[in-house]
Amino acid sequence: MDVRVDDLSVPGPRGRVLAGAKALSVPAGGSLGLAGPSGAGKSTLLFALAGLLPQARGKVLWDGTDLIGLGARARRRMAAQNFGFVFQDFLLFDELGAAANAAAHAMFAPRAQRAAIRTEAAQRLGALGLHEADTRRPAASFSGGERQRIAVARALATRPGVLFADEPTASLDRAAADALINDLTATARAQGITLICVSHDPALLDRMDRVLHMRDGHLAETADA
Amino acid sequence: MPELWDSLPAATQDWLWLAALVAPALVMAAVLLRGFAPAPLVRAMLWRFRWTNLCCIALIAVSIGMGAGVITQERALRDGSARAADRFDMVITAPGSDVTMMLATVYLEITDAPLLNGTLFNEVANHPQVALAAPLAYGDSHMGAPVIGTTEGFVRHLAEGQIEGRMWQDPFEAIVGAAIDLKIGDSFVPAHGLGDAAQEGLHGDRIAVVGRMAPTGSPWDRAILVPAESVWLTHGLADGHAEPGQLGPPFDAEFFPGTPAIVVIPRSLASAYLLRQEFTRDRETMAFFPGAVLGNLHRLMGDVRQAMSVLTLVCQALVAAAVMLSLFILSRLFARQVAVLRALGAPGRFVVAVVWAYAMVLLVAGTLTGLVIGQGAAQLLSAVLSSRTELALNARIGWPELHLAAGFVTLGGALALLPALAALRRPIAEALRGG
Ligand SMILES: Nc1ncnc2c1ncn2[C@@H]1O[C@H](COP(=O)(O)OP(=O)(O)OP(=O)(O)O)[C@@H](O)[C@H]1O
Ligand SMILES: [Mg+2]
Repeated sequence: MDVRVDDLSVPGPRGRVLAGAKALSVPAGGSLGLAGPSGAGKSTLLFALAGLLPQARGKVLWDGTDLIGLGARARRRMAAQNFGFVFQDFLLFDELGAAANAAAHAMFAPRAQRAAIRTEAAQRLGALGLHEADTRRPAASFSGGERQRIAVARALATRPGVLFADEPTASLDRAAADALINDLTATARAQGITLICVSHDPALLDRMDRVLHMRDGHLAETADA
Repeated sequence: MPELWDSLPAATQDWLWLAALVAPALVMAAVLLRGFAPAPLVRAMLWRFRWTNLCCIALIAVSIGMGAGVITQERALRDGSARAADRFDMVITAPGSDVTMMLATVYLEITDAPLLNGTLFNEVANHPQVALAAPLAYGDSHMGAPVIGTTEGFVRHLAEGQIEGRMWQDPFEAIVGAAIDLKIGDSFVPAHGLGDAAQEGLHGDRIAVVGRMAPTGSPWDRAILVPAESVWLTHGLADGHAEPGQLGPPFDAEFFPGTPAIVVIPRSLASAYLLRQEFTRDRETMAFFPGAVLGNLHRLMGDVRQAMSVLTLVCQALVAAAVMLSLFILSRLFARQVAVLRALGAPGRFVVAVVWAYAMVLLVAGTLTGLVIGQGAAQLLSAVLSSRTELALNARIGWPELHLAAGFVTLGGALALLPALAALRRPIAEALRGG
């Protein structure tokens, strides 16, 4: 999916703008890196692009449909069908097994899609190096790096058109981070997924088509691939 | 419509009531859960807050158990006491309190009462509408059990003919109630007086046990029955007969020492009413149906029952409120999970379904446990009461308790929508950040 952003801003308390983007576009299957210091508004911008902030103003057009103009219900449906999200601190369901976490969408997806989601989730877990024997263990029992991979598997299980990832390599060692980066970019390329990643990791940012820097809620372009 | 409803059998009405009370909860479940598979998350919530959950279940169980137990026990007592009065169609005594005399005859809570003389007894006994008339003679006891003098006919009526051993053949033979700790062939010397005031050693005549009545489910199971003549003779009175050596009716009015109560079995229902009218005489006699007196008593107690029911409901409302409050708090602790679901694109109905289903598991588990507790409590109470009174009490959870439980579940289900909907109202992004 491609996205065009027009005068997006997320208002905060006392007239502050938590995150904003005057104009921004990412083509379908393209990738965008967001970098910047802590508190710059990267996560906030990511949430706004995914339609999770009802207070956002402006336009976010995914394949021409304005996410911000949609009702809450339509926004949710759009997210369920098209977006995958890897959160900054994983946000897995601690008591559920790795497989159940990766296939979390199956709990509420239409019955006809459940099996496909479960299969895809299991495949993703395998591809990310989690042994099948382990996938019944509760998510809480996995290491940080493993939890990150389960989160990625969950984000990809619905074969989304867009993948948002907030610091996906932050808790991985170099080798694991590189493996994950390869996997993310390869999958995105193979399936035509639009990739929007917040990261401090130069190795990840290097692989993005384009990287934007954020400071105090505003975007500044630094590099084009 | 009312006629149609009234024409249905009671069991059908009860089933329909139950269905009507459960239906709203089932409709809610169907509407909320349709097309979703929230079980893993519900299980996760149950496990995450397991101790709080157990407390909630225990709270619900105790409140339902108390309510159901009290209702069950009260009904068992009402039914049991009514059954005990079954075999006492009608009683004639001197004028006074019908309740006191009913307690004295049916439940053997014996009090001093003026005596009816032999002329009157014979008038009753020889009345064409009377099938059986028996005098009662009180005064002695053995090991706390009253020794009661009466007639062979009444003993056979009381035991419905089921007597082990044989009938007495002389004044110093006895038939014991089913709960009396004496074997056929044992003998005893009755003590003078009843209960704590009983004095041993005043009477010299030994009485032999020759038979045992089948259980009657009444305090008479703890009585020792002897011929009336036996009691009279022991107390140095005439034995009711002009010539010595006779046993049982007819009695000779001149030698009849008197009886505090005459138990009467009328020939028919119509004769019962005729007899009651005839023997309700100012300053002379009072005739009453113990069943009816008991019915009045139960009606009086009905107000108490209503008050108890209200208390039970208040208790349950408080518990429901407490559980709702903890659900609000717990669903707050679950807010991050809810936010993740919303961010993944889960519909609002799914989030409501998860929280609601979780609440319902607590509610249903607590209610079912409560019914079990109620049954157990009522059974225990009945056992204690039975052992004290020999009333046969059949404490079993019945329709009113099931209706109460079903109503509680449905009401709880409706209330549980509140925390479920509240879980939906929190902003997603804040909750995702861990707020
Ligand atoms: N709901 C809110 N109300 C007020 N301020 C907020 C709210 N949400 C975010 N902020 C503030 O907005 C700023 C941007 O937050 P954001 O999480 O987007 O930062 P970030 O760039 O992702 O930082 P990090 O790299 O540490 O994750 C922060 O200063 C934060 O405190
Ligand atoms: Mg962030």
